[in-house]
Amino acid sequence: MWKTNLTIILLVIGVLGLYTLVANSIPQIQSEVPQAIDLSGNVTPEQLTAAGERIFNGAGGCTACHGLGTRAPNLLTDEKGAGPIGVRCGNRKPGTACKDYLFESLTNPTAYVVAGYQPIMPDMRRTLPPDQVWAVIAFLESNGGTVDVTPDDVRSSQQSTAATPAAPAGATASMNPQEIIAANGCLGCHSLHGQGGAIAPHFDGVGTRLDRDGIRESILAPNAKIAAGFQQVAGIMPQTFGQQLNAAQLEALVTYLSNLK
Amino acid sequence: MTEPLALLQAAADTTGAYRAFPIIGSRAAIWIAAEVHLMFAAFVLGVPMFAVITEAVGIFTKDAAYKERYDKLSKEFTRLLLVAYSATAIWGAVLVFLLTTLYPAFWNHMTEIFHVSMWIYVSLFFVESFTLYLYYYGWDRWKTGRAKYGHWVLGILLNVWGTTVMLIANGWLTYMMSPPSSETPETLPSEVGLWNALANATWMPINIHRFIANAVFGGSIVAAYAAYRFLAATTDEERAHYDWMGYIGNFIAISTFIVLPFAGYWLGREIYQYNQQLGITMMGGFMSWLWILQAFLIGVLFLAGNYYLWIGMGRIPGAERYRPYTKWLLIVLVAGVLVWSTPHTMIASRAELEAMGGSHHPFLGVLGVMSAKNTAVNLMILTTFLSFLLYRRANKEPVVPWAKQGMMAQWVMFGIAAAVVLFFGGYGYFVSAIVRIGFSVYQVLAVITTIVVVTTLDIFLLKGATSKGEIRWGQMPARSQYALFVLAVTFTWLMGLMGFARSGIRQHWHVFEVLRDNSVDAATPALGKASIMISICVLIFLSLVSFIFWLSELGSHAAPATDHAPMPAAAPAAGD
Repeated sequence: MWKTNLTIILLVIGVLGLYTLVANSIPQIQSEVPQAIDLSGNVTPEQLTAAGERIFNGAGGCTACHGLGTRAPNLLTDEKGAGPIGVRCGNRKPGTACKDYLFESLTNPTAYVVAGYQPIMPDMRRTLPPDQVWAVIAFLESNGGTVDVTPDDVRSSQQSTAATPAAPAGATASMNPQEIIAANGCLGCHSLHGQGGAIAPHFDGVGTRLDRDGIRESILAPNAKIAAGFQQVAGIMPQTFGQQLNAAQLEALVTYLSNLK
Repeated sequence: MTEPLALLQAAADTTGAYRAFPIIGSRAAIWIAAEVHLMFAAFVLGVPMFAVITEAVGIFTKDAAYKERYDKLSKEFTRLLLVAYSATAIWGAVLVFLLTTLYPAFWNHMTEIFHVSMWIYVSLFFVESFTLYLYYYGWDRWKTGRAKYGHWVLGILLNVWGTTVMLIANGWLTYMMSPPSSETPETLPSEVGLWNALANATWMPINIHRFIANAVFGGSIVAAYAAYRFLAATTDEERAHYDWMGYIGNFIAISTFIVLPFAGYWLGREIYQYNQQLGITMMGGFMSWLWILQAFLIGVLFLAGNYYLWIGMGRIPGAERYRPYTKWLLIVLVAGVLVWSTPHTMIASRAELEAMGGSHHPFLGVLGVMSAKNTAVNLMILTTFLSFLLYRRANKEPVVPWAKQGMMAQWVMFGIAAAVVLFFGGYGYFVSAIVRIGFSVYQVLAVITTIVVVTTLDIFLLKGATSKGEIRWGQMPARSQYALFVLAVTFTWLMGLMGFARSGIRQHWHVFEVLRDNSVDAATPALGKASIMISICVLIFLSLVSFIFWLSELGSHAAPATDHAPMPAAAPAAGD
């Protein structure tokens, strides 16, 4: 019987050893804890780029989508013949400089969505402080382009954050519903009068499908009820409009949408 | 959450929030306690499910031989349960003491929200314990007549209490992963509603997933126990009994395992819906390689499970006619495993991407996408089901007048299911991702429909079938029993791996985006280090469970052979 026992013990240890060996033979990626990065003072482009690379590969979580070629455009390598991001960033939107384009991409990602991809990128200001957003921009520029982020960019963003700490993404003081829609990037997914995306339900006719409470709930808690046929994109719509819009803007928007019949 | 806020919270939290466990550290201590407790808990929740089903088979069957046989089997299941139950409680107590002493701030947060449910939990645990004692120790006293039905109801109650206990504990752990979206780091725990926290976004998918997984796990451990008893058996009667028991345990494990991926899809979908970033971290972030390892493990399970069945056909007269098919089944399974374990969208460094010539491998990249993987896994499920079907009918010859047409219809169903799976697998390459995701539903529906329809057809087809000879229970080579050990070890390891995936996606949060982990162990380890921890947990669990089963044998050593009812003359084939 001891022979059987020994065989079983060796078998169990062998199987455990095999699985442990396989797990140790594949690439090892540890999830690091985000660390504070000091970007105060006269930070140099090299320091910004180095900090940006750490954020890009770590706390920013950028590599979870970028670089895989399916969820989001490759940034560090060629993307469909247009070169890495530092090369192509100045050509994406005519008249928009590389730095401005990257800033918009990180802070208002639905304003321009590269063809063939879904608007799944979050506003990075929810994850990173403004100076770190600039560090990421510097790093992205360094991939094939010229780093033109300056200490003034970093300082001004820090000052503007200190002055208006609650300044939300896409915020606008306008009471015009169409301006609110444009400023908050709604047409990245929804369409209105034939303009905009087809990922989410059309705004046209929304007043016949939902009452005022339903529209308000869809804006404030978009995951509470998912429109039929759109379950596959559930969770994409930001849940931050309760913080981005003030009460008057929200009600103006609800009134406008409920009249679209 | 912005960095200044995180730093503020860190400063507030680290004072007296953590203690260090000597030598191995706090995280390793908690990891072992939680994982081993969970393994025992899964066993004691899974086994009562099929104990009560096998008892019901014994009660309701008209054949006296089966009646005694299944009743004894059910009692044997329950005996294993009894001895494992106290180990579950001991490891649960170890976990609680370690949490309170090593992570007091986190524990305070949890108790502030969940204290009422913890009182209910411990009360139910008490009730469950005494129901189990009544169920086991009352077995022989309430063996006949109406008392037997009462005894069976005790078994059902045991499942009800156990499942309720599981639901409560699942609420705690899923809260850590998906707290109510209204909760922020500034929210006081006392302001969080108990039901709101318990019934969170991932609670029900985890409940269903664990419910099924417990049956899978329990079946595989019981099968390994039976395999050991088979190898240690000294009489033919004993060998026959444990061969049969091992077969039943493996049948439960594999048949319930087949539906587990569907529950897993649901859970994954809910995680994505709750938080895109959480989902992306799980599937494409630092955990992306974990799924390749999972594919490898599941490949082992499919191969070992089918291997056991194919060897088992050697003890069934008439099975020779199906032997030539096994090599084709093996080819499909191996091809499926290779496709499923092909890496695709992995995190890679710039140098690695350049070396590969892009984000995808020029050749293997085509096989690594979900279209190919879904196709592979669905074909593997179909193949395994076919193995079961051949096993089931190995010694039977249908006599119904429509036998030929019936069998033809079954083959056509298999053909249609395979065609649907292959068609949508291929078509998936030509449509956008958002459309492709929907194709997996059609593939799964085709496979499930085939399994249900073919099984139903088979039951009627083999009604009154003539037998080519009885199954020679006990006449199995030893290597078949070692396959059962491989299955049990792999299921246990897989459970540890998936536990790491579920827990690890929170990354540096005790409660995701609510309560930050500021301990020295806040970074989530890479897969290699995690695998060492998983192997240690599995080794501890298997060592303890072996010791406990040995102890249980000491108690019943007086008459081991006579404890088994004689094998029925016509022991049931698979699924009967």
